Amino acid sequence: MKIEINKKLRVITVVAVFLISACGKDFLDLNPHQSIALDQAIQTIDDYQAAVYGTYSALQSADYYGRYFVLVPDVMSDDVKQNAQANRARDFSDYQATALDGIATGMWEIMYDAINRANLVINAEVELAAAVQDQKDEFIGEAHTLRALAHFDLVRMFAQHYGYTEDNSHPGVAIVTSFDQNARPERSSVSEVYQQIVDDLMAAIPLLKVDPGSASRFSAEGAKALLARVMLYMGNYQLAGQMASEVINSGKYSLVPTDQYVASWNQGLSSESIFEVVFRADDDNGSDALGRMYLPEGYGDYLPAADLLDLIPEGDVRKGLFKTDATIGGVYGNLRVNKYPNAQNQNNTPVLRLSEMYLIRAEARAILGDEAGAREDVTTIRQRGLPSASAVTASGQALLDEIAKEKRIEMMFEGQRLWELMRHKENLVRSDCTNLVCEVDYPDNRFVAPIPQAELDANENMAQNPGY
Amino acid sequence: MKFWINLNLIGITLLLCSAMAYGQFTVKGVVQDETGLSLIGASVVVKNTTIGTTTDLDGSFELQVPEDDVTLVISFIGYETQEYQASAAMPEVFITLAEATTQLNEVVIVGYGTSRKEELTGAVTKLQSAKLEQVPLASVEQTLQGNVAGLQAVMGNGQPGSNVQVRIRGIGSITASSEPLYVIDGIPVTAGDITRTNTTANTMASLNPNDIESVTVLKDAAATSIYGSRGSNGVILITTKSGRSGKPRIDLHAQYGVNDWAVSEKKRLKPLTSEQYTQMFIEGWVNRGESVQDAIDRFDGYYPGAVTFNSAGDIQQINVETNWIDEITRKGQNQSYDLSASGGNDFVNYYISGSYFSQDAPIIYSGLDRLSSRVNVTVNASPKLKITNNLFASTLDQRGMSDGSFWANPLYTGYFLAPVIPLKDDQGRYYGEHLFFMGGNNPVGSLSGDDERMFNQLRILDNLSAEYEILKDLKFRTSWAIDRIDVQEFFYRNPRYGDGRNVGGFATETNIGENNWIGTQTLNYSKSLNNIHQFTFLAGYEAQKNQRKGLELSGEGYPNPTLRTLANAATPTQASSDLAEYSFESLFGRVDYNYRLKYYLSGTVRRDGSSRFGINNRFGTFWSLGASWRLDQEDFIAGLSFIDDLKLRASYGTNGNAGIGNYDHIPLFGFGEAYDGVPGGAPSNIGNVDLTWESTNSFNVGLDFGLMNFLYGTVEYFNRESTNLLLDRPISRTTGFDALTQNFGAMRNNGIEITLNADVIRRSDFTLSLGGNITFLKNRITKLDEDIIDVTKIRREGLDFQTFYLYEWAGVNSQDGTPQWFTDSTQTELTGNINNAERFISGRSATPDFFGGLNADIAWKGLYMNAQFSYSWGNYLYDEEARFLQGDGALTPRSQTNLNLARWQNPGDVTEVPYFRWGGNNNSNVGNMTRWLYDGSYLRLRNFTLGYRLPVDIVNKMNVRAANIYLRGTNLWTYTKDKDLYLDPEASINGVVASPVPNIKTITFGLDLGF
Repeated sequence: MKIEINKKLRVITVVAVFLISACGKDFLDLNPHQSIALDQAIQTIDDYQAAVYGTYSALQSADYYGRYFVLVPDVMSDDVKQNAQANRARDFSDYQATALDGIATGMWEIMYDAINRANLVINAEVELAAAVQDQKDEFIGEAHTLRALAHFDLVRMFAQHYGYTEDNSHPGVAIVTSFDQNARPERSSVSEVYQQIVDDLMAAIPLLKVDPGSASRFSAEGAKALLARVMLYMGNYQLAGQMASEVINSGKYSLVPTDQYVASWNQGLSSESIFEVVFRADDDNGSDALGRMYLPEGYGDYLPAADLLDLIPEGDVRKGLFKTDATIGGVYGNLRVNKYPNAQNQNNTPVLRLSEMYLIRAEARAILGDEAGAREDVTTIRQRGLPSASAVTASGQALLDEIAKEKRIEMMFEGQRLWELMRHKENLVRSDCTNLVCEVDYPDNRFVAPIPQAELDANENMAQNPGY
Repeated sequence: MKFWINLNLIGITLLLCSAMAYGQFTVKGVVQDETGLSLIGASVVVKNTTIGTTTDLDGSFELQVPEDDVTLVISFIGYETQEYQASAAMPEVFITLAEATTQLNEVVIVGYGTSRKEELTGAVTKLQSAKLEQVPLASVEQTLQGNVAGLQAVMGNGQPGSNVQVRIRGIGSITASSEPLYVIDGIPVTAGDITRTNTTANTMASLNPNDIESVTVLKDAAATSIYGSRGSNGVILITTKSGRSGKPRIDLHAQYGVNDWAVSEKKRLKPLTSEQYTQMFIEGWVNRGESVQDAIDRFDGYYPGAVTFNSAGDIQQINVETNWIDEITRKGQNQSYDLSASGGNDFVNYYISGSYFSQDAPIIYSGLDRLSSRVNVTVNASPKLKITNNLFASTLDQRGMSDGSFWANPLYTGYFLAPVIPLKDDQGRYYGEHLFFMGGNNPVGSLSGDDERMFNQLRILDNLSAEYEILKDLKFRTSWAIDRIDVQEFFYRNPRYGDGRNVGGFATETNIGENNWIGTQTLNYSKSLNNIHQFTFLAGYEAQKNQRKGLELSGEGYPNPTLRTLANAATPTQASSDLAEYSFESLFGRVDYNYRLKYYLSGTVRRDGSSRFGINNRFGTFWSLGASWRLDQEDFIAGLSFIDDLKLRASYGTNGNAGIGNYDHIPLFGFGEAYDGVPGGAPSNIGNVDLTWESTNSFNVGLDFGLMNFLYGTVEYFNRESTNLLLDRPISRTTGFDALTQNFGAMRNNGIEITLNADVIRRSDFTLSLGGNITFLKNRITKLDEDIIDVTKIRREGLDFQTFYLYEWAGVNSQDGTPQWFTDSTQTELTGNINNAERFISGRSATPDFFGGLNADIAWKGLYMNAQFSYSWGNYLYDEEARFLQGDGALTPRSQTNLNLARWQNPGDVTEVPYFRWGGNNNSNVGNMTRWLYDGSYLRLRNFTLGYRLPVDIVNKMNVRAANIYLRGTNLWTYTKDKDLYLDPEASINGVVASPVPNIKTITFGLDLGF
């Protein structure tokens, strides 16, 4: 009998050990510590803020405003020539890119990533207290503006420009306004893409009631400035001029004085900055930063072309945006681009500046017949560079040429030159040329980047650009 | 001399005695195993009689035998039975029993228990310690290559301590892990690389292979289904040594040797000399349409004074000549010292050890040092209660380097750097002023102490278990284990040159701490009915939780190159920590049944839940059934004298692969997307709430046989059908993501494994055995909606998983030296423009047609020789870096390799290398093409040992139990089918090579002493 009890006790002990070691119900419910579930992501105004800042963060990528989106159109232009050992973006510079190109893939991916981030904010539809309604509107407005910017950048890089066909029915890029993991969108026409960009900006402007207080984010003026550029590309000079005027007249921005102009490029967030992508030490793209593609301390792959240098008058403060480098010579000249001079910490990348607004308005005014106003605007920019320069007096096409020339100098190395050439349907002619290709006549398939092979492999509805 | 006299005296005395006893005499002897360990309780019987005895605690015996010239039969469980002709003239005998590797009665460790080979219904291969001890390799997985049928173990990187990829019966997954589960003394442990700033590492390298008693590889469902959702890639069970009863045994192993490149100097890639480079430099510009003088001006601009040219533009004098590859190459040392003690009595058994292992790669800086110790103690508290604690601790220091196309990779930059760049500057420092050239990287300086890339790995594994016999035949076992891995990484780049120059030097310190605890409770019940029906039941519960915490800190701006801690950095640039967890909770059971030891049946079931699976699919049940039939026990076979063993077995079952990310199933929003100093976040994981384990259904049929007492073997057919494969299906990038993980695809691996071993000669003083294994493996993707193109490969339904998908190189146009490609798979039309060519499938794959190993053992008296080969046939290798290193000048002004010397120069030249032109020759290096695809078939002498075991009478004089000296070579000789292959054929499983540290050839001298 005693033995029996003993056996029972032993069995009970073992069962008890089993039970003690059995785990609680939530043993298998482990949540990550670095992320939260996506459906929990936007609940409060702080969450809106995080998601909007996260969208801006996408712009910092070396494939976007951190480097390539700004660099690539410039190395395809006549402002820049290739250094001997240039190994990056060379296929674009030499007009040899293929659909396998890593840069094209990188740009495509990060721009759509930015759109997805903005869509999360726009589509969140969370009811918040009235006290934070303005703040919430502000964030949603920024997200609309960012979505417009990314679509605008995509359609410029991957599609022929607005005006390439009469009715702009030529293929643009896919428009994405909501997340669908199974989506395989086809390309909308350029006309539809621009309509989406305008719709987003028009939606954003009334929402952007509160100024963020820094050009590191989009304000209402930022959205208007972007709209001004979009309208200029679309040939809607009325609205382009009006938007530029509203920004200029807002009183929030002032042109950087001549004597501070060069230094302002290293400092960032100058008085004329409307929107720029800010880089702090921990955002630095390192050797992949935009400036290091030009600087001898970095890759130094690209050099300023005489085609541009020769346009800048003697004594113009903008000559100070170059520095001499004795280690290069011959056909390569001895100058380096120094617009992004910091080799240690990445300089901010300008996206919209007040000077561009003057030049947009100048062009709009000139075309709409207000030549005096146009001359005044272009002179403002020219004399800011060189106070002793005489006022512009040209008219007609000569005035438009003066405006284009001023814009080329003022916006150099900001990734705009190629789009200006396209907009004006001009041939690419590099007279100071170290490239394989020194002339490309307009129009040409190669003026636009290839749709990445990875996209075509995964999405049969996506059509490749001709010539790739 | 005195010794021999003594022996003779004994002999004469014995002879007299035997004569007096009318033929009777006494045989005295010692029985040991191959390592000199005395075997206690071995049976010594006069053949065909009942006269016999067993060996005592020293392994010695004395036996009175009835007549002269008798045959003694010496046997011991787990060892080959040996016969010995004893004569009165030589009454002192010394017997060495070889460990049985082929016989059916061997004890085999299986999941949650042990079994005998005769009882197995599943496919299991066991490797004994003799194959693992003192192999001059850092981690035990490396020894498996060629030794286990169906298993591929590939290192692909000569970095000591690097990760080893192991595939058992092929690749079972497209995107999830295909690595097997590692189980040490019953504990599922973390394997592989958990470092962050190092290129390759291996948590298993912490383990001292000398501490391992056996490695058991579980291959089919009958063997692996008990591991449920983690068994589908096979399971590797590692059992560490424990003490056997008897007086203390001390073993000392020492080994010293040198390491060199495994690829012979003749075959490996060579950098250009200054003369070759200079000529190529000028040629490259002339081919771009410049004059020779312009090219010389450019040369002088880059490398002032490095070369003097005469007025005709010819090289007059070379002033700088640096062979960067020679400068980073060395003969590395390989050392191993190991001391262990083991023994036991009725109450306690113990095994304790300590070891030091050090391996330096043939590349400077790269190396590994390991200190490890182990204490395995079992206390027999009562006849019913046994308590065991296995404690292992190890600290490992590894020094590594970059690989791939990083400028800091010395085996990449070493070829690229122009030989006309000086090694050192005027001040004797490593030169770093070539800023135009790969950021001024100097691999020699970097590896000579100017930079650092290293880590320390501390691993402690403790396992306390108690086994208690509750009732007769009913045993309860409880086991609690903690596996703790701490990795401290340090990565530093100096401020003067290379990657750290622009920021004044930088450093990153990383700490990774992994805590893994496992509790396992099992009940085991055995029952025999009339010795006809025998049952064993096992039931168990297991819970496991794993936590990994990371800490990363970085800073830049270093004022003094000798002060490298982050306290000296001017600017902190990163401070971040992270935590990831997973858990498993499982119930499992097994039933084994046999009828008259003839017919065996086994069944297993396991129910697994894991935090890794989506909420909709959190639990899964896995099972297997196995049966075997011992034909040799049947009367109709027993009569056939040439058949010793014959067993047919078959199994079918399911298991899973949980080798997926910890949180893959959750759509996530992650932070770390700060902008303008304000925290920001973004969608970071696309997620899939239905996500679950991959399933594998395995069928296996095998035949084990032993014939004519000398030939043993196994033939098996297997078929693994993997379904619900986790697929990172590429999706339209317009979604903001590039892939969606889902359970979708299916894959099949089937094949035949043959293992054969023959004891060709088995005499007491001379043995020769030959063996080998071969695996024919066929892999097919059986379900995949759409093609997945993965850089150089294509995944397509009906194709091998590792099928290459490349532009087909069609050589060089002999008229103008430009590159050519075939336009499409018809291979009828050539094009000089890669944009007009398309990639296609040519049937070449990284999966071998067959692979395996061969071995030969010869022993004559104390002398012995072992040769072990491994081979792989029919697989292809792709050199990922060739597009740069052999880029025909695409990357100005980087140097190239000796292969570019064969470039096209004049019309009519027939060569595979296009003309050389700075900036590239018509995209000759753009895109992945068959130009750099090689046949990777090889046969390699993996291990060769020549040794001598000193006779026991001599060593006993020296108060030594056993002594053994040997010479050993690893990777001594390699045959490659492709005569021009400059790569090491043992590349990674996927066949893609990215300029790694070269694999190592080692020659060592070793000494083993037993006391």
